[in-house]
Parts: sequence; C-alpha cells; structure tokens
Amino acid sequence: MSNSSCLRLDETSTTVVPVTPPGLGATILAAALILPGIAPVCAETAPERAAIGFKYLDYKDSQPDLDRVTARAPSINVVLPLGDAWSIEAGGMVQDVSGASPRYHTAVSGASKFSDVRKAGNLGVTRYFPSGTLTLGASSSRERDYESQSLSLQGSLSSDDRNTTWTWGIAGADDTINPSNRRVSNEKKKTSDVLLGVTQVLGTRDIGQLNVTYARGQGYFSDPYKALDNRPRARGQTAVLARWNHHFTSTEGTGRLSYRYYSDTNKIRAHTLSAEYVQPLPYGFTVMPLLRLHSQSAAYFYVNPVYDPVYGSPFPPGYTFGGNGYITQDQRQSAFGAHSYGAKLSKQVGRDLTLDIKVENYQQRGSWKLFGDGSPGLQPFYARIVQIGASYLW
Amino acid sequence: MNSGFDRRPGKHADLAVVAILCALSGGCTLLTPVQPWQKGTLARPEMTFGGDSLDLKNSEHVYQNREAASGGSGVGGGGCGCN
Repeated sequence: MSNSSCLRLDETSTTVVPVTPPGLGATILAAALILPGIAPVCAETAPERAAIGFKYLDYKDSQPDLDRVTARAPSINVVLPLGDAWSIEAGGMVQDVSGASPRYHTAVSGASKFSDVRKAGNLGVTRYFPSGTLTLGASSSRERDYESQSLSLQGSLSSDDRNTTWTWGIAGADDTINPSNRRVSNEKKKTSDVLLGVTQVLGTRDIGQLNVTYARGQGYFSDPYKALDNRPRARGQTAVLARWNHHFTSTEGTGRLSYRYYSDTNKIRAHTLSAEYVQPLPYGFTVMPLLRLHSQSAAYFYVNPVYDPVYGSPFPPGYTFGGNGYITQDQRQSAFGAHSYGAKLSKQVGRDLTLDIKVENYQQRGSWKLFGDGSPGLQPFYARIVQIGASYLW
Repeated sequence: MNSGFDRRPGKHADLAVVAILCALSGGCTLLTPVQPWQKGTLARPEMTFGGDSLDLKNSEHVYQNREAASGGSGVGGGGCGCN
C-alpha cells in the first residue's frame, strides 16, 4: 500500500527513498487515512491494496452489589481501492447485549433486566483529489427498540506543502425509539452534526490537531427504562478536541496525548484527557499502555438519591405527580470522575497480517470529579473491556 | 427541575474555539515548514490521529454510553438505545 507521496532522505546517505510505513501499522494506516478528522501529512491517494479488519469485543460492567451489562460484539471493516482516485469502505457489527440496569440511581432493587441484539453497518465512498478528499458515508443501526440511520459528508484540504490540512464534515441522523415497555411509541430523534478541524505539522517529530464539533438534536432524549426520566426534547453539544503526537527518537516510541472539552445545553461540562504510548518491540511486537481521565458535571435536571419521606424512592422530595418538569436519576447524567487504564499488544505476522489484544479497566466514582464535588450517594461503577483483533492486507 | 431549552451551549466556549482555530492557522506561518523528505517519522502509522478504526469505534461506543460527553473526533455514525 502507499497512501503517501512522502519522500524520506536517508540519514546516512543522500538517497531519497519513498517512505514505506512500518509493516505493523500498514493496515491501520490504510483504514486511518479514510477516517473523518484524520489528516495526512503527505499527498493522499487511494490505497493500493485492500484491507480487512476484525475485532471481537467482550464488555462487562458492574457495581459492588450488582452485575450489570454484558456485551459481546464481533465487528468487521473492509477498505477496497477503486482505481487511482476512489476507495470504498464497508463495516458491520453485531452486538449481543444483556444484563440489568438500575431504574434509578444505582438502586439494585427493581433493576430492569434486558436482552437485545444490535446490528449496525456503515458504508463510505472516498474520492481523492490532488489536495484533498471527499467522503460520502451512510450508517444504520437496528435493535429491537431503537433504529438509527445517518448520512455524512466529509472533506479535507491540504496546503501546498502538506503541512496544514483543514477538515470539515456534516452529518444528519434520524432515530426511532419503540421501547419494549411501551412507555412511548414511535418516538423520533433527529440530530445534525458539523465538524471543523485543522491538523498541523509542528516539526519533524510532532504533529497537532484541533477539532470542533457541534451537534444539535430534536426529539426524544429521555431513557424510557428509567423510573422518572424526562429530559428536554432538544439538545446542543459542543466538543473541542486537541491532540498532539510526539515521536521519541531515543526509544523509537510515540506519545499520543489528547484533551477534549465538552459542553451541552443540559449544562453538562466535561474534561477528558487521554495518553497513550506506542512502543515497538523486537520480533514484530508493539505494546501500547493507555491512560484516560474523565470528569463531568451533572445535568441541571439530575436529582440526587434523596427521596420523599412519604412516597419513598424513587420520588424526590416534593415530586409532583403528573407534572412535566425535567428530571433524571441516570448515573450517566450525574457528576463524577472516571479513570481508565489498560494496554494493547500487537504482533505482526509476516508482511500482511497483524494480531492484537487490548485489555482495559474502567471505573467511575462521584468523589473523583475534578473542579468541585461529585454527585453523592451513588455506587462506584466498574467496567472490564477485552478486545481481540486481526487485520490483513491483500 | 427546570424547564426550557433556551440557548446554545457554552457561547463563550464557541468563541474561544474560533479564536484557537484562527490562532493555530495563523500561527502555522511561524513554524519552520517541514519538507517532504523530512516526513519519514510523521508517516509512521502511530503518528496519525486515526489508528485502528474498529478499535476507535469500540472505545468511543463504550465511553459515550457510560458518560454524558461525546464528539470531537468526527461526525456521523448511528445512535443506539444502549442501557
């Protein structure tokens, strides 16, 4: 594969040689270069070889006195070149999910049990121009109680020296919600997204990126399986993402830092910092430890687990039956901090096959919130994520 | 419990973002341009902002269904009713 018109001056001679990305990541690069917000540092051309990737995700979460959700999800992704100026990408996944979810806060009693299968697919076509790309994409997701379709258009434009790339994207999604408890029927949610970004080569071993996304949605945002959930029927979300990659010559390793600031009309503000370090090892192995920190404030209509002395749980003090005030007791809308750590190990087998395994441990606690107090009275939340994968070029 | 949807989020944050984007674009002129033959390291897969697309999708799916925040890296993609 090439995807790159970069040339490298061999440091020990004056020979100019084409840059051949190290074999380990060849498949990764093939897929990465057609992703939104991913800007190349070189002239971008259609991939010369096809790539196929496979992952199997095993997810399990819990709180101290309750095993909550288990999900197993195989997924596949294929990238095919179509001549010199086009490529097509197709992907799909099946997610088998089951378990129990608290109906309010982290209450074990009355947790709703469920089992569902989610099937999702995506298709994208990319046109490569001398100084940019244009990608038209579509995706679909279907489960028993929720359907979603979306369309997207994304583009990139590079400066003449390929040191700066501007990216943009627009997308629209149309969701339909039919919960199994028939609390609502045929509810709709429509969302529009825009992205603007710039990627800048900062030096021979540094590259940075700044993206801004804004999403605006109208429709049903409540969780029909939560006891008293009633959320605004409109939501705006802004995210600012800054990323910086640095290559360490001394170790041949690469550090990858990112920070995201998030803000929405539910008055949730969140900070997310992640750090990865990619270290090549002998015999085709690569190890990547990762660390992620997240902190968010609560939605303005989130209520703490304090209940009415007469009606008891889940009713907050002074709750008005039949009222239409906004309320949520969803742990995900509370104020908390989250820590996540893990590692990914990859092994290249021959020129074209790469195998990988990733293990991650995730925890949420109210007391871990940064810049103020977290929501009180909730149990800690744990998740264990294991993923195995393979990718192949042909 | 309040009501009403009245404004876009973080108007000041939006302005700051625009300022940062402008500064970064303008600031690029202050950087010494890197020549094509100096981009061998930058072309390494781990120096891109993508990486393993399926891995990224899985990670984002997990986080956005266990936290309130999402976005920043792209647009599009189907939603879900994940509990």
